[in-house]
Amino acid sequence: MKFLFYLTLVLLLVPLQTTLLPHVSVWNIKPDVGLVAAALVGLFAGELEGLLVGCAIGWVLSLFSAGELWVSLLTNGGVGLLAGFLGRQVSQVTSFSLGVGILLVSLVSGLCVAMSLTSFDLSQIGWMVESIVFPQACFDGAVGAGCYWFLSRRLNLTHLRTE
Amino acid sequence: MAYSSSIYGTKRIALACFALLLVALFLFPNQIQGLLQYLGGPVGYAVGIPLEAIASIDAGIADRWEQYVALQGVREENQQLRKEMEWLRGQQSQLREAVAATERLTALLHFKEQALPTMVAAQVIGRDATNRYRAIILNKGESDGIKPDMGVVTPAGVVGRVVKTTGATSVVLLVTDPYSAIAGLIQRTRDEGIVEGTQQGLAHLKYIPLLSTLRDGDRVVTSGLIGDFPRGLVIGTITHIDKQEGALFQSAELTPEVEVGRVEEVLVIQMSYGQATKAGVGADLLEKSAP
Repeated sequence: MKFLFYLTLVLLLVPLQTTLLPHVSVWNIKPDVGLVAAALVGLFAGELEGLLVGCAIGWVLSLFSAGELWVSLLTNGGVGLLAGFLGRQVSQVTSFSLGVGILLVSLVSGLCVAMSLTSFDLSQIGWMVESIVFPQACFDGAVGAGCYWFLSRRLNLTHLRTE
Repeated sequence: MAYSSSIYGTKRIALACFALLLVALFLFPNQIQGLLQYLGGPVGYAVGIPLEAIASIDAGIADRWEQYVALQGVREENQQLRKEMEWLRGQQSQLREAVAATERLTALLHFKEQALPTMVAAQVIGRDATNRYRAIILNKGESDGIKPDMGVVTPAGVVGRVVKTTGATSVVLLVTDPYSAIAGLIQRTRDEGIVEGTQQGLAHLKYIPLLSTLRDGDRVVTSGLIGDFPRGLVIGTITHIDKQEGALFQSAELTPEVEVGRVEEVLVIQMSYGQATKAGVGADLLEKSAP
């Protein structure tokens, strides 16, 4: 059952990210729903599932991007793993704290990708951070907080986290 | 107690998996990349189904919007288009003359007629999954004979180049992406250079010889030096020339001919003029050598 849920999630994230989200992009920046989904799965289902689902999401999404295949795989897998660890350590998660957490994680992963893409050229990194990484991190944080808020109103999240 | 030990077990497994993945990627980057791409082929079919379904719903809604709601400014646009059409009619008659003259000269020089390039029509069903690249996703992939490095055009001009394929889809890096590079030629002066995308979503032509007499408004076309694009496809128009003292080359900013952000249907060049001609010659030779 869980496998089917994750499979559907991965299959639906691609059209959402590539076809629907470009319509709601601001200054040509759209949120990375793959990263948000990996963080939420890690938070609710633990490190291992966070890692595996994050890797799967990252890999499938990167098949529909011009970039290297391993970048999203590693960043989304890492985010799922990290969210799983933090989910076990933090007793009370709020929409705000989750939003800030996703913002920071997105910022760090975006910075790592920018450094690898630009071969540590500072002017290029500066441009990428200013025009892509930072706005996207803010967007990711807002979407993550919104998703958590929505899910927490619909589901018993404490039960899910301790399951 | 049992609960906490199972948590530690899961943690260890997760960490070990991630470490293994990292080590594998650092030790065998090309092999892992190749394996991921190979496995992605069939996954493309599975993902392609919901992707095409949602893209067609999206296109339907966009059509309705354009036909019934977004009609503001249509009258002005219509007048503008009529003027443009009249100007183009004039151009067309001049070009007909030029074509007739070229045909006469070609016949005189006994040039072998060039084969037309083989093209596949495809629809745009999405944009790049990340914000880092300017790329589009097409609804045709490996099963339709599309391979990486094939050129992508519209009747108006160059769109980009295929960089990745799955079974049912392909990713095209647009000409406006900073990581894109296409061999270009200034149509009037015949000077060659490399067209690259810019961070602002335009393009610029690099490595133009210092003695070139290029000017604003000159058209840049594909040079045909690399096999992906045949010679003479329009890339863009020069809008600004950058000539710095002491520099070895000039560069120029271009406005791409195709509005790549709004393109909906494209043609993928499977075999350009040169390759088609070579293939034709090869076939002729085979035919002749056959007993």
